[in-house]
Amino acid sequence: MKKFIRISFGVVVASFMAISCDDYVDIDPQYAQDADNYFLSPADYDKALTGAYDLMQTSYLDMWIGEIASDNSIAGGESVTDSEGLHQIDNMTHGGVNNELRSLFRWMYAGITRVNYIFENKDKLEFEGKTRILAEASFLRGYYYFELVKFFGDVPLVLDRRLSASEISSQPRTPASDVYAQIVKDLQFAADNLGWTTSTKGRITKGAALSLMGKAYLYQNKFAEAAQTLDEVIDEGPYALSTDFSTLFRVASEGNSETVFDIEYVGIEGGGYGCFVCLEGFAAVGFHSIRGYKGPIYADGNSYNLPTQDLVDEFEPNDPRLATSILDIEAFKAAQLPVKVEYTVGGGGHTGFYNNKYLKRADELGANDNDLTSPVNHRVIRFADVLLMAAEAHNRKSSADDTKALTYLNRVRTRVSVDMPPVNVTGSALTQAIYHERRVELAGEGIHFFDLVRTGRAADQIAGFKVGKNEVFPIPQAEIDLARARWLQNTGY
Amino acid sequence: MKTKLLALFFLTLSLASHGQTLIKGQVTDENGQALPGVNVLIKGTSRGAVTDVKGEYTLSDAPADAVLIVSFIGYVTQEISVAGKSVVDAKLAPDVKSLEEVVVIGYGTTTVKELTGSVSSVSGNKLTSLNTVRVDQALQGQAAGVQISTASGSPGGALNIRIRGLSTNGDNNPLVLVDGVPYSTDGLNALNPSDIESINVLKDGTAGIYGVRAANGVIIITTKQGKRNSKPSIEFSGYYGSQQTTKKLDLLNAHQYAVLKNEAYAAGGQAPPFANVDLGKGTDWQNEVFQKAPIMNYNLNMNGGSDKSTYSIGGSYMNQEGIVGGDKASYRRYNARINFTTDIAPRLTLQNVLLYTNERRRTLPENGIASVLYNTTNASPAATVRNPDGTYTYLEEFSDIINPLAQMANTYNQTGVNKLVGKEELTYKINDNFELSARLGYNYANVSTKTFSPLVYYGSGKAQNTATNPALVPDSITLYSKEVDSVRSNGQWTKVTASYKIPRLNSVTETEQTFFNYNAEAFLNYNKTFNDIHHVKATLGISYFGDQGKSLSATAFNIPYNSNDFADISAADGTNLLNNTTSYQYRSRLQSYFFRGEYGYKGKYMLSALVRRDASSNFGKNNRFGYFPAVSGAWVLSEESFFQSDLFQFVKVRASYGVAGNDKIGNFRYRALLGGEGVYPFNNQLVNGVAIGTLGNQDLKWETTHQTNVGIDFSLFNGKLDITTDYYIKKTKDLLFQPDISAIAGAYGAGGSPPWINAGDVKNNGFELLINYNDKIGEDFRFNIGYNLTTIHNEVTALPDGVQFIEGGAFGVGGTRPTRMQVGYPIGYFYGYKTDGVYQTTQEVTERGVAQENAQPGDLRFVDQDKSGDINFSNNSDKTKIGSPIPDMIMGLNLGLNFKGFDVSGTLYVSLGNDILRNYERDQPLANLLAYRLNRWTGPGSTNTDPRLFTSSTQTNRNNVISDYFVEDGSFARIKNVQLGYTLPAAISRKIGANKLRIYVAANNLATFTKYRGYDPDLSAQFDPNNASGSTLSSGIDYGFYPQAKTFMAGLNLNF
Repeated sequence: MKKFIRISFGVVVASFMAISCDDYVDIDPQYAQDADNYFLSPADYDKALTGAYDLMQTSYLDMWIGEIASDNSIAGGESVTDSEGLHQIDNMTHGGVNNELRSLFRWMYAGITRVNYIFENKDKLEFEGKTRILAEASFLRGYYYFELVKFFGDVPLVLDRRLSASEISSQPRTPASDVYAQIVKDLQFAADNLGWTTSTKGRITKGAALSLMGKAYLYQNKFAEAAQTLDEVIDEGPYALSTDFSTLFRVASEGNSETVFDIEYVGIEGGGYGCFVCLEGFAAVGFHSIRGYKGPIYADGNSYNLPTQDLVDEFEPNDPRLATSILDIEAFKAAQLPVKVEYTVGGGGHTGFYNNKYLKRADELGANDNDLTSPVNHRVIRFADVLLMAAEAHNRKSSADDTKALTYLNRVRTRVSVDMPPVNVTGSALTQAIYHERRVELAGEGIHFFDLVRTGRAADQIAGFKVGKNEVFPIPQAEIDLARARWLQNTGY
Repeated sequence: MKTKLLALFFLTLSLASHGQTLIKGQVTDENGQALPGVNVLIKGTSRGAVTDVKGEYTLSDAPADAVLIVSFIGYVTQEISVAGKSVVDAKLAPDVKSLEEVVVIGYGTTTVKELTGSVSSVSGNKLTSLNTVRVDQALQGQAAGVQISTASGSPGGALNIRIRGLSTNGDNNPLVLVDGVPYSTDGLNALNPSDIESINVLKDGTAGIYGVRAANGVIIITTKQGKRNSKPSIEFSGYYGSQQTTKKLDLLNAHQYAVLKNEAYAAGGQAPPFANVDLGKGTDWQNEVFQKAPIMNYNLNMNGGSDKSTYSIGGSYMNQEGIVGGDKASYRRYNARINFTTDIAPRLTLQNVLLYTNERRRTLPENGIASVLYNTTNASPAATVRNPDGTYTYLEEFSDIINPLAQMANTYNQTGVNKLVGKEELTYKINDNFELSARLGYNYANVSTKTFSPLVYYGSGKAQNTATNPALVPDSITLYSKEVDSVRSNGQWTKVTASYKIPRLNSVTETEQTFFNYNAEAFLNYNKTFNDIHHVKATLGISYFGDQGKSLSATAFNIPYNSNDFADISAADGTNLLNNTTSYQYRSRLQSYFFRGEYGYKGKYMLSALVRRDASSNFGKNNRFGYFPAVSGAWVLSEESFFQSDLFQFVKVRASYGVAGNDKIGNFRYRALLGGEGVYPFNNQLVNGVAIGTLGNQDLKWETTHQTNVGIDFSLFNGKLDITTDYYIKKTKDLLFQPDISAIAGAYGAGGSPPWINAGDVKNNGFELLINYNDKIGEDFRFNIGYNLTTIHNEVTALPDGVQFIEGGAFGVGGTRPTRMQVGYPIGYFYGYKTDGVYQTTQEVTERGVAQENAQPGDLRFVDQDKSGDINFSNNSDKTKIGSPIPDMIMGLNLGLNFKGFDVSGTLYVSLGNDILRNYERDQPLANLLAYRLNRWTGPGSTNTDPRLFTSSTQTNRNNVISDYFVEDGSFARIKNVQLGYTLPAAISRKIGANKLRIYVAANNLATFTKYRGYDPDLSAQFDPNNASGSTLSSGIDYGFYPQAKTFMAGLNLNF
């Protein structure tokens, strides 16, 4: 008996020693789904994709800066120190410390990381419909990188996985051309695997992917590729110009035949100034709207991003797009009489004009605080833009096809509800006509600054613009410091 | 029985033998009490006897010239010459700090003489004699390097144990082991001080034998065991006491209040609120709220053993009511304990320890704006407690101060704990040198909490109201409100909002939490002396530790009759839509190997080295395991032949260096979470996606402490005076933070946040001194003096790149965060404006050369720290360090006197240099004030200390911003315990069948000497409203602390 006890005691102790590897501590949290035990069902992929779409909703800032940086508008707002970063961009005095640019930089990479998280796990499960999810995810990554490269030039290219904290310092800035190559690759994958139409409003389509790809080519001055890609959209896509320009930017027109790529917003969820990245409504609308407004049709807002007289003057006489694009507040006020219209002027500046495409309407309010919850979609690429981009590409490519360019241009000009006389010029006169058309057709849509930069006209048009410097924005200094990857600041900053 | 048989045996033997002497005698202690179980050995032989229950022994076969060696654990061994006598009595003197005293060092023991590390030992008797509810309360002032401070003085309230300073902004709790079983510091309430044999605190690097859990020190608690071959000895002890508050605040009476409030209103251009200021003394709310409350504690212990087994069985009952709230803030505890060892085979011993606790604690709101004491001190003395009809008054002049008596009457919080801690340990003595131990320890606790929230109305607009009016009509809550559709009526489209409201009735919340941890350990000890000069010891072991817990909580509404008698989920309305449930669970595991080798040469040189390897589920995959080494050595100078001293009997120099870890960094924090918000509209409806939240960090690891310790031990005057000194430098690295991370890591989507990383260092260094002096004057007068001193210098030495500081705590309402963790400063130092007096004249305001917004004569003058010419209240440019909650020095003084049957003892605890931020005054126009405000500024030259009184609806001055005006010196000296006892002469106690009967009267917290104006300067980190995970940064902020009680008691100790 004693021997038995001793032996069994020895066995117990020995078995202790036997569990010698660290398996014992290799346990996972119970009943908790975290990032390391996700992607177990097709629905998981779908949800992660929705999460990746989410960051597109921060585009209000991209759009805003695209206007303010150009000669189209001034920063406006409550005072010159409110959103100081925007005022600096307006004055071309911006530097590495700029909250708005840092937010943009952070948000785009947050979106990229959410896409990369899907690709990191793409082989975990096989199921029907996965390709569609990966295609949409590819588009999103292409979009986020396009915004980054357009704003900052060379940016670190992180693909298909999440970075650990210790890997950050080894991420160099990737040359813009390589980033563009990846963008095209991602968009091509999306275009190849998505249909022209979707039954779900808001989902990315083949047309959106090809149009963004054409735009990416255009931004690299790859006109032949741009022309070819955009022609495919024009020739094969289901798009047509809207027959009522005046209501094109209203909620009721969302998803109409001119819609190629919209970022979706709804007004059903409230939101606050504490978390812009959480918003489900389009914050630009509330920011743009008329300060201290009391009266019909419109609603009160914050008077940012105010169009300039210079932009108003760009419109040809009798161009009906002027009234749709730009609100002349005093004229409007006079026209409403005897109904009284009141508004105030913010300390950040006043031009008398408001960005009428994205202004809060009394019948399009979101939930409170409705400054930030507009249900109006951001029209990122309209079919008119596709036509004008294609026109430019054909006009500027090495073997120019001005006939086609002219056709596209005049399709936009002479469309029903715009009805401007067709132009009939070629060569550089046509180039100028296209540039003019882009500025008026796309006024207030956040495109003009980048158009000026890529066509080399920025220094002529924008006061304070320095060639060789202001073509891109500075990398936020805090990000250079945090990355500790010896990134060089963009030239001149 | 055994001893009697043995005696009989020797007696028979002696009768049979010729020419040998029979010797009898009695062994007593210093008080003349019989000592059973004492070994009496004939020197030079292996023959001897053991004293019986009367302390008597009989020895046969003893040569007339024999020398008897009389020895007993805890007493100085005596050698007595028989010199032909046949009756040899011995009186043993207690060995207060013998060099052979056993010191527990983790998986083994050593002696004071051979100890190479820094360990504080406190005997259980000392702790028990202090009559505290909690063990850690008794430990305050007993051990150098151990700082104990109180988080709440309410019955069952927690304490904070800090060994050698604050090492982290995270969890500073030491590892507590009870008989080798990990015990949570929060749960220390459950331990009955009377069950404790000894406490050993491992303070230096040698604590590294516990590896990744040792960085904050290790407290090893050993419970009482029986002795082999001893008759059952039964001990009963009990006391009954009456508690009262240690202090009441000096508040304004009604007349003073009315005068000062009128003055304040007038200063702000408002109509004085009191037309008549002759209000007399008015209501003393503190008298209404504080009460005398009973405390009682009864213990019964039985110890004994046969030659093959020992047992120690105990039971106790303790009950304490609150000095605020009485039974509404009370604590009751039952303990039962068995410690049983038996030889189940030759050389194989089983030890079984079982500690059971049943606790019940009731609490009132404490600390902060909603607490009972906050309402008490801020309520208007001009108001009455009750209306003529007996109902409580509403204190309508305040929006957020409620009648504290009404509040107590309507508060129902109760927590019950059932806790079972135990272990089974097998020890196999392989041979004289090897011993193998294996043990299984477990710690199971079930915590049940029940809170009843009745419908109650405290007056209009009070935040604590659950009803909308005195008729107790409940508030309603909107369950659902949404724009559902558009309808067409009269040719117009209009939107329709559907909503559903239901009344929010009374509710009961019940929470059931279960905590379970276990450890399975096996270790081999080796111990051998070669050639009488080389002493080698070694320990090799393995340990598994698993910890898990879960919680299930439910809230149910609509309790019948709005009555606590029915406050149970089963009695609630089961279909109420507001009913809800939540749950959580956690688990973590630790797997460890450890080795320690010790070498001693001739008792002169000692060297010890250890290493532990810990693998923990809390760490990232890249840092799953870590190695924690320590080395220590000692040189006993007094053993050297060149050492010649009559004064010093023992001198030893010690040094140690060790690395330990702190794994209390949160479970699974290395993992990436899915807490991100990913919502996007499809088809104009919001679709909820999933997105990464807090990023993961596979490199995440423990906090690491590197500690260097040097010490010298002296023993003088033939062991009467013992001195232990230590100096330590403790550097903690790799503290946990969540600083900004590069955007390219993708942390900044909605709901995302940067990963936890290890970055940040803290340094603590200090000096410790322990002096014990024992002596006697004449035969009957004995005394001992124990003094200990600890200095702490705490400094943050690094924070993550780009992090300037971390803020914590709360000040005022709406939250300035008054404390900081910042490089070059102590953790949690107070950060605010410095003042240099009070503006006396308008001229002074305008001509000072420093612009201070809205300043008027009588307002505080702030110091222009940045010399910018103005005091900036919108940023931090003029703020600086205005205090630190960490004391520079703490001291304990313990005195004991014995004269014949009388004993007197006292314990004094001193804390010097700690500051307290006063944050219990409510800045409301009609809130009552402390009496120091009578010294307010009233005109030029009146005072340069306290600002004028001012209240206004339109203007503001800056007298209430965080400044050194609110920081007070929290230094204090407290007489923790004084006791006068009398032990009845043995002749009398025998008459009632007892071996010993001692009666005593005692007082705890008899007097506190401090300049601090608040209730109790012995306060420490409590909750942090801004940081649920850590309270370190709210140390030293007085949010309206529940003071410790002053207790007068009488008790007795009875031994059978």
